This record gives sequence, structure tokens and C-alpha cells, in this order.
Amino acid sequence: MTETWGQLKSFEGKEFSTLDKNFTREASKLIGGQDLTACFQCAKCSAGCPVSDKVNVQVHELMRMLVFGLKEVLDTDMVWLCTTCYTCQERCPQGIDITDIIFGLKNMAFKEGKTPQGYIVSRKGLYDTGKLYEPTDWEREDLGLGDVPELDVEDTQKMFKDTGLMKLKEGDEE
Amino acid sequence: MTQSYEVFLGCSIPNRFNNYESSMRAVAEALDIELLDFDGASCCGTVVLKSIDETSWLALSGRNIALAGSRGHDIVTPCNGCFSSLKDVDHVLHSHEEHRRQVNATLKKLGLEFSGDVKIRHFVEVLYDLKDQIEDKIVHRLDGLKIAFHPGCHLIRPSPVAEFDDPELPRKVDELLELTGAQSVPWGLKLRCCGSPLLISSEEVATSILKEKMESAREAGADCVVTNCPACHTQFDVQVLGMKDDEGVSLELPALFVTQILGVAMGLDRERLGFDLNRVSLAPVAEKLGLQ
Ligand code: SF4
Ligand code: SF4
Repeated sequence: MTETWGQLKSFEGKEFSTLDKNFTREASKLIGGQDLTACFQCAKCSAGCPVSDKVNVQVHELMRMLVFGLKEVLDTDMVWLCTTCYTCQERCPQGIDITDIIFGLKNMAFKEGKTPQGYIVSRKGLYDTGKLYEPTDWEREDLGLGDVPELDVEDTQKMFKDTGLMKLKEGDEE
Repeated sequence: MTQSYEVFLGCSIPNRFNNYESSMRAVAEALDIELLDFDGASCCGTVVLKSIDETSWLALSGRNIALAGSRGHDIVTPCNGCFSSLKDVDHVLHSHEEHRRQVNATLKKLGLEFSGDVKIRHFVEVLYDLKDQIEDKIVHRLDGLKIAFHPGCHLIRPSPVAEFDDPELPRKVDELLELTGAQSVPWGLKLRCCGSPLLISSEEVATSILKEKMESAREAGADCVVTNCPACHTQFDVQVLGMKDDEGVSLELPALFVTQILGVAMGLDRERLGFDLNRVSLAPVAEKLGLQ
């Protein structure tokens, strides 16, 4: 299967369509997006980022793309290779909630079907069972642990129907 | 005074690390911390659901918090992922009126409400409060044991949400570990992410981060790695199996939970500490831990 994410491998020779002010505005409305345009490109975020040497587009470049309104940011590998470690957010001299913004970008990319397969599988598992992993019973018995308290799948599903978790993008089916 | 909490296990611990739950319960009992069952909990969704859809993520943890609240209880969790989900959602719902209204509209249909007065704590936070009591209970000293302690990102960052320790120079859990006589060694990449959240998008990148971590721990002369999170532990005790450096030398180090270290030093029942379930061989530290 061809990867549907991380298509933007390099800025070299790349032409961007237009600077879309609306996209910057949209990104500013994400949780944590309020100070987005205060980024002054010091690159401190990238200096401490555990994947800086492993991605095509680093986090300070991702931030620049947001300020420039380049929607192609959703095609960078940085979006899904951000480990969510919050080091950048903790250290940004401008107090920008960088990691939270990246979470919002992941949401946007997911809606466009630009996501690692694992997330699609996990969403279904979570919806069907109310959890991401099943308990291992035999070990519990050996350690004298009781059963894990019952999970209420029904209520959780009702809630996800309300939030539309399984219908985030057109053509999604429950 | 007895402290009482509903314990939010999440699904990673019962799935993979029953030794963490078991050792946590043994330590809690010895310290008179009451752990109540968290009936009707769902998964916290962790960074996985937050990455997919924040609206659903807010509702899911909002529901878990509201459940404990409806029973008048506070929450404790031994997992950094659950801790982060619950704290982060709590933080967002406190600071964003709009999100709170939306979540409460969803919860109303389930007869629940997020009221915002439930305390959410990591198990190690509760332990830190009881530091003096723990010190009094140490019966088996672990002098000479060198620990590379890995706090994990979400225990300490973002600090305005986690509200636990200094985000650049955390010391609290290290202090607890050193009560046993063991040494928490400084290591270059201590605060670096373990890479586990990337197992879902790229195992290759997750593994390269882990390799850097292991090389850093070895360079610091650590005998073992200690964690307080099942997601981090997956890296240090499962993904690490068979990992070698570029010269072909094994990078495995015994990986233990904070509660196993404290439990053994407090002289608690070995069976309940669950050492048989640690994957990487504990042989190099067995003597120091008194496991032989
Ligand atoms: S650390 Fe903050 S201000 Fe500096 S480049 Fe990164 S986002 Fe911009
Ligand atoms: S949160 Fe993401 S972008 Fe920020 S330092 Fe960590 S991995 Fe890099």
C-alpha cells in the first residue's frame, strides 16, 4: 500500500500554490493555536525535538508553513512523526502551544484520509470495545488480582455516535 | 490518614503489565492508600484518540472524570498516558467554556455532568506525599544499584497541565527511588521521549529513538531502567528485546517499575511484585534486589 501521509519530502523545487490566510486563521482556532503567529523562527523547538534528525520537515518549518498558510503542511511527515513529547511546547520562548497545535493538524489530516493505517484500526477497536487493548486474564489469576472492572461499551458508543467519531470524513462507515 | 481514590488502570496495564498493577496494589496496601474500583470506566483514548478527533477525546475522558465525580471520588492512575488524558481534558474543560458546554451536552444524555472538582493524580504523586512513611518502611536496602529513571514525557510536560515536577530537572520520583539506597544516575537523554507513541505510525522511528535512549543509559553506567508508565515500559521491556548497538552488543537492560523497586525495598511479598513477568532478564540485578 502506498503511504497516504508524509508525501512532502522536501522544499527543494517545490512550488506552493497560494498563501492561504484562511488556513492560518483556521489553525489559529485549534486548541492551543491562539499564539501561532507569534513564532519568530528561533528553531528552539527543533533543537530539542527527538525526531528532528528523522523527519523531512522539522517542527520549526512546520510552524513557518502554518504562518504562511500553506495547507501542504498536512502532507509533511512531521505531523504524524511528532511523538507528542511536549518538549517544544515546554520550551518555546514565545509560549506557543506547539504540540497541541500538531494534535489539531493530525485531526485535520485524519479527516482527509492522510493518516497511518494504525489509527484507522485503533479507532474501530475503541468504538467497538470501549478500549484499545484487552486484559490478559491468566496473568491476573497468577498474581492474585481480581477481574478488571466491567467497561460500559454501550454508553461509550452512544457518546461516539454523538461526537461523530466514525463519520469524520465523507464515505466513513460505522 | 487513609487516602482514598478510584484507581484508573487504563487498558495497557491489564493488557501487558499485570506486574505493575500488582506491585502498585501491594505498595498501596502497605501505605494505607485505599484503591477503589473504577466501575464503568472506558479507555482514556490517550494520544491516539486525541490525534484522531479531539471532540471525541474530550467527551471520553470527560465521561470518565464525571463518573468518578458522580460517586464523590478523586482519581489516581499509575499510567502516564491516562494521567495525561485525564489532566489535559480537565485542563481544557476548565479553560474553554465552549468545549465544556459541548462535552456536557453529550454527557447529559448519559445522565452525567463534568463539574470540574475531581482531583486527578498519578500514583507516584501520591507516593511522594508519603515519602516519610516510605522511608520508615525500608527494610532491604538497595545500596549500589544504579538506576536510569525515565519519568516519561506526560508525567512532567506540559508543566502547566501536569503540575507535578520541574519539567527540566525533575527530582521527585528520583528522591523516592533513592530512599532505598539506590542511586538515580544522571543520563544525557533522561528527559527524551521513549518513542512509544510512534509504534502506531512508524515502528522504525520508534525503535531508533529507543536505541538512542538505551545507549545513553548504558553510557551513564546504569544497571537498570525504571519507569512509571506502561507505554514507556513497552519500549524498555518489550521492544528492546534483541536490540543491539552498531557493534552487535546487546542494548538490553533490566527494566523495572517504580513500584517494584519500592516494594522490594519495603520487604513486600515477592510474588505480588511480579518479577516473573518482566521480559528482559533481571539476572544482572537479581543479587542487588535480593531475588536469588
Ligand atoms: S520555539 Fe517557538 S518561536 Fe521558536 S521556532 Fe519554534 S515555535 Fe517558533
Ligand atoms: S512534541 Fe512533537 S514536535 Fe514537539 S519536540 Fe516532541 S516530537 Fe518534536
